[in-house]
Order: sequence, then structure tokens, then C-alpha cells
Amino acid sequence: MSDTLLFLHLFAAFLLAVTVVTYTAVALGAPASGRTLFVADRCWDVGGLGTLVLGIWLAINLDQYEIWDGWILGAIVLWMLATGLGVRARIGADDVSAEGAPLMHWLRTVAIVGLLVLMIWKPGA
Amino acid sequence: MTLLGAIRPDDWNLPLFLHVLGAMALVGSIVLVLLSLVSARKGDSAAGLRLAYRSLLFGTIPAWIVMRVGAQWIASKEGLDDLDEPPAWVDIGFVTSEPTLLLLIIATVCAGIAARRAREGGRSFGGLNTTALVLVTITLLAYVLAIWAMSTKPV
Repeated sequence: MSDTLLFLHLFAAFLLAVTVVTYTAVALGAPASGRTLFVADRCWDVGGLGTLVLGIWLAINLDQYEIWDGWILGAIVLWMLATGLGVRARIGADDVSAEGAPLMHWLRTVAIVGLLVLMIWKPGA
Repeated sequence: MTLLGAIRPDDWNLPLFLHVLGAMALVGSIVLVLLSLVSARKGDSAAGLRLAYRSLLFGTIPAWIVMRVGAQWIASKEGLDDLDEPPAWVDIGFVTSEPTLLLLIIATVCAGIAARRAREGGRSFGGLNTTALVLVTITLLAYVLAIWAMSTKPV
């Protein structure tokens, strides 16, 4: 059960990577089509929900972790930050020259890398 | 295995981080290539092929190197590369990573030639686009298998 949850949690995280890479290409000036951005946005939606729900489910399911562990709470805060930045980046994707639009994407990217750091190092666990 | 993962030594974290970060960038860029190749078949072929080619060259292949270096580093730390019979999940990792580099290089060459032909106009590039698309799809499926193997760690 835990292995399946971990696989799905990791798979959801890879969906987030699809969005981050696609928007990175756009921020660097690549002419991504509307279809490409649509898929990237759906990956963000599914991946975001999947990482959160499956991550909390994993924390409840595994004896060695508690939902109130510092690194898990930190990850939830970073997830919320990344979600907010993702919304701003998505709005800005229609007009990448809009002031601050690429910045929202780069900040979201930093938040996602920060989430990965927390998942690997698990400070305090 | 999940419990083992939770109590791994601290000096395994950096190579594992590099491995996972590289793998995420690798899969993300492959999906971008796939979408660009599909959109090149349906609409703006020159722009789609150029994006696919540049994504492969500047995103996918460097990400593969980071992923693979991280994999070798963590395998060395864990002593997995010294085993006569490594666990199945390690074998799956090697089998899915190394041959796919060759597929990615061929896909890059195909996408590059197709992008040049599309830009110049008049010459056929549909076969090259299809070849790149097939190779990238096979690679993506192999990586989904690898993600499953790395997370569930079948013996």
C-alpha cells in the first residue's frame, strides 16, 4: 500500500516538473503552442493535487512520520506558496512580456526545488 | 524499503537529490518535446520542431547526464554497484536509462534535421518527425517504468 502511494506521489511530482520545464521554455522565449500550455497547466492541476493528497495520505499511513512533523508542515507551506505563484505564472503566460510574469515562474521553480530538498533531507525527521 | 529510505545516512542525500532533480527535469523536458512534436504535426511545424530540437539538445540530454551521474553516485554510496546480483529495481534503472540515451541522441538528430528542413521549406520532414516522436514516446514509457521501480523497489 505504502509503495503504491509513494509511486503515485512521485508520479504526481513528475507532473509538476512537466509544468515547470514547459514554463521555463516559455520564460526563455520559446514559442510554446496553446495546446502545450494547456497540457502543462493540467499537469500542474493534477500534480499539485496529487502531491498534496497522496503526501498527506503517506504521512498518515507510515508509522515513522506524523503530519505535524516540521518538514511536512514546511512542505505544505511551500506547496501553498508554489500553488499561488503557479496561478500568477499561468495568468502571465498569455502575455509573457507582462511585468513580473516570468518572475512568478522562476519563484515557483525555486519553491518546487525547495520542496524536493525537504522531501530528500527531511530535516528533523 | 520505505523504512530503509527514511533512515538513510545523511551523505546519501546530495547524490539522491541530484538523481531525482535530473530525473524530473528529464521527464519534464521529454514531455515538452513530445508535445512540441505533436503540435508540429498539426500546426506550426517549423516552430514546433525547433522547440523539440532545442529542448532535446539543451534540456533532455543534460538532464539525462545529471540523472545518470546522480544514479551512479548514490549506487556507489549504497554499495549497489559492487553486488554480483543487484536488486531488480537497480537493474530496471540501468536497463531503462542507458539504452534510452541512444534513442534520445537519434531523436535529437532527427528533430534537428527536420527543423532545418521545415525552416527552409519544400523538403519532406514528416518521417523524421514521426521517428523522433516514436523514440521519445518509447523513452517516456521506459521512464515511467523506472519511476515505478525506483519508488516501489521490487526485489
